[in-house]
Amino acid sequence: MAMEVNPTSKQTIIDNETQREKVEEQLWSWGAGTDGQLGTLRLQDEHLPQLLNVPSLSSASSVSMLACGGAHVVGLTSGGKVLTWGRGNSGQLGHGDMDCLLSPKIVMSLESYCITQVSAGWSHSGFVSDEGCVFTCGDGSFGQLGHGDYRSHCSPAKVSFFVNKHVEQIACGMRHSLVLLKDGSGNLLYGFGSGKRGQLGISIDRIKSVNAPEIIRGFDDVQIITITANADHSAALSADGELYTWGRGFGATSDFLSPQQSPSSLKFSKVALGWNHALVLSDNGEVFMLGGSHHGMLSNPEITTLSKHLSDGAVLERVPGLDGIKVVDIAAGAEHSAIVTEEGVIKIWGWGEHGQLGLGSSRDESSPKTVSLGVEVERKNGTVRVYCGSGYTYAISTFCS
Amino acid sequence: MSYDDVEIEDMQWNEELQAYTYPCPCGDLFQITKEELKIGEEIACCPSCSLYITVIYNAEDFADK
Repeated sequence: MAMEVNPTSKQTIIDNETQREKVEEQLWSWGAGTDGQLGTLRLQDEHLPQLLNVPSLSSASSVSMLACGGAHVVGLTSGGKVLTWGRGNSGQLGHGDMDCLLSPKIVMSLESYCITQVSAGWSHSGFVSDEGCVFTCGDGSFGQLGHGDYRSHCSPAKVSFFVNKHVEQIACGMRHSLVLLKDGSGNLLYGFGSGKRGQLGISIDRIKSVNAPEIIRGFDDVQIITITANADHSAALSADGELYTWGRGFGATSDFLSPQQSPSSLKFSKVALGWNHALVLSDNGEVFMLGGSHHGMLSNPEITTLSKHLSDGAVLERVPGLDGIKVVDIAAGAEHSAIVTEEGVIKIWGWGEHGQLGLGSSRDESSPKTVSLGVEVERKNGTVRVYCGSGYTYAISTFCS
Repeated sequence: MSYDDVEIEDMQWNEELQAYTYPCPCGDLFQITKEELKIGEEIACCPSCSLYITVIYNAEDFADK
């Protein structure tokens, strides 16, 4: 398949106190695309990276982060604006309707807020403002919107429980949500939505669902700095680089109903969750994986170089094939994984049926393979970030020229 | 190989599709109809990919519905 390249990557001028430099940003997408989640204006899968032509993003400032859900994408600009696209049949795009969108559109009802963080679950979305408010929209049938009921919303609605609190982050899973408050001492994390696999971490008993936020216990003396959720998994990282996971067990291990600290001597700087695996990045740039044996995700025991057994037998394995390579970014789709090396090279592996590996085929890969975005990105002074949705992948390359 | 075992109570009834559904990792939905459940079918397929799940349910619950 020929790669379609639109020579329309966007250029913005960034004001700096000391200099003005031209920053060019390119958005690429590939994988499952039949709900418009690739932003290509086409409803089809793409097996190779597609350079996007996105006027609605170009007119805004640069993209500070993407959140990729089941089949919808939430984009956050550095100016605090939110754009959404892809599947909208549960109201997860927040435009007041249930329509799908083939290209990014600004969420107007959030225009009066400066949004600082976003998350996309299977069919719901969460938005955090600089004032510490959190808004949710989309499917609420498991209580995952946190409004005290099981209703769905097609426009972002403020979660009233947090009105007098300062929210820092939200993380949306398949049917649950986590919320992290800013500073304070203890009682920092909340969960709501489906809790059947222990993913809420709010009780030692299995809880079917809760529709209003409840405290996640076990972090009294720990400062959590980041949270993440996907499928029935939840994870958090502490300021000291400790990894906590709860919810559905990885591999053949049993579910954890409360947060469990990974007994590793390593310090971790980032965690990404798939549907049956977790990727973690250590502060020295090594990538490890929990539960990699599902669906060709990884795990060829012969080439696994380092294993650390967790308390119940879940294994933290170093991802093979990355010796001597420093990794700076990681992302996990439902059944695939992507990383970015220090040199800005994207490597990817796992399930490939929808082209989500971007290697030009629908084959699975059991070890990291290099994705080519073409020559332009390999210029110096560039940075590359990756984001994975369930069956698709995005990359943002930024470079100064 | 079945992607997962899912209890019927964890599947959602989809009026439009007239089927019980569960999220598929490709982004689409695993689907099984009441008629299929009635005849003892336990595999829910995804129309977009090769994956399928095994549905855990009590056959008697669907025998005469």
